[in-house]
Amino acid sequence: MSRIELAGVRVAVPVEDQPERLILDGLSAVLTEQRVAVIGANGSGKSTLLRLLNGLIAPTAGTVTVDGLDTGRDGRAVRQRVGFVFTDPLSQLVMPTGREDVELSLRRRQRNRTERAAAAQAVLDRFALGPLADQSVYDLSGGERQLMALAAVLAVDPDVLVLDEPSTLLDLRNRELLRRSLAGLAQQIVFSTHDLELALDADRTLVVDRGRIAFDGAPADAVTFYRALCSAPSEAA
Amino acid sequence: MGGRPSHGVLAGYVAGNSWLHRAPLWAKFLGVVAAGAASFVLLDWRVSATALGVVLLAWLSAGLGWRRLAASARLLAPLCLVLGAFQWWQLGPATAARIVLNLALCFVAAGLLTATVPLRTLLDAVARLARPFRRLGANPERFALAIAIMLRSIPVIAGAFDEVGEAARARGLERDVRARTVPVVLSAVAYARRTGEALAARGLGDGDDDHA
Repeated sequence: MSRIELAGVRVAVPVEDQPERLILDGLSAVLTEQRVAVIGANGSGKSTLLRLLNGLIAPTAGTVTVDGLDTGRDGRAVRQRVGFVFTDPLSQLVMPTGREDVELSLRRRQRNRTERAAAAQAVLDRFALGPLADQSVYDLSGGERQLMALAAVLAVDPDVLVLDEPSTLLDLRNRELLRRSLAGLAQQIVFSTHDLELALDADRTLVVDRGRIAFDGAPADAVTFYRALCSAPSEAA
Repeated sequence: MGGRPSHGVLAGYVAGNSWLHRAPLWAKFLGVVAAGAASFVLLDWRVSATALGVVLLAWLSAGLGWRRLAASARLLAPLCLVLGAFQWWQLGPATAARIVLNLALCFVAAGLLTATVPLRTLLDAVARLARPFRRLGANPERFALAIAIMLRSIPVIAGAFDEVGEAARARGLERDVRARTVPVVLSAVAYARRTGEALAARGLGDGDDDHA
């Protein structure tokens, strides 16, 4: 497994005529488990935390490394190792059909068109997406789209897969489909979710609350902690 | 902008095996270039109308159907109307007709290309065509990717016009220009941001790698 290290990470965004808004503060963790879940309320900083792992955003302070590679300094190398799947697959599938999107992922690796097509077919077959590969991505169900987005990311064989709330837009059937697909992957997976059942599948679960890691440990304990946190009266109330 | 994109002329590839689908890519590229050049060369509206008739015939003979044409006509109509009215006022009806017809000609010719060539084939072709620019520091793959994203964005943004139009109608604001345009602009910006983020996450915006 890869070693993902966050050291003293702080992320703040400037706000006009106001003090900067703190998104994450004082985050430190070393992630080496195969399945790491991140749970927390909306706006708690989960998505920001995940975007740090792929270098999509840079920390305001502190460092984030993947196998020693700094996500800011070595962004390109990090992105070759860390694949990212967004909540809404339509944001991610930039080509009209799944096959074209998988081939787009492979363009940098496979310049030969025939070899690229064969490699794309192999990826699509692996996820049983062959029959859907030439349909418009708009004609696919939510689960099929999410699997297609997953296939497009996995086509380049990343070591780490980061998924930002992958099941949020899915119905129960598609959620189960995604869950089974993720369970069969060899990659190290870091995912955020509101689906506490999915969080229980992890080896380790972080609870993020107001930009800080409020709990870090076994999934069952993390879910119990999170439930208690959500039941407690909020400070704003 | 999460809805279905518009099914206009530039809505993407239509699977088929017509003579136009089988025609070589260079010939189709040449056709699009010729249609673009027509704006400068064709100075008689009757010739422009004939040229448009020819590409429309090609469109129908390739089995691409009326529906896409109709959807595009609906989208193009306001632009043609404004442009035509202005040119009529400035230069007279013959020039106005010629300009509008030439615009439609370019649009349908480009549609013939995108409807009969899969995007991945277009990408390869554009990357090949852009190879000489490598000497000037340009990356042919980025060139191709930019074209692909542009082609993909046209139907998505056109679809946003439809969606926002429906929403405005539902609120009884169908005549409010602001209600029909501002959300489209905001959606387009959000779409661009999401697409950029998705490309960056997949490393597609990064520089060329070892395989280049």
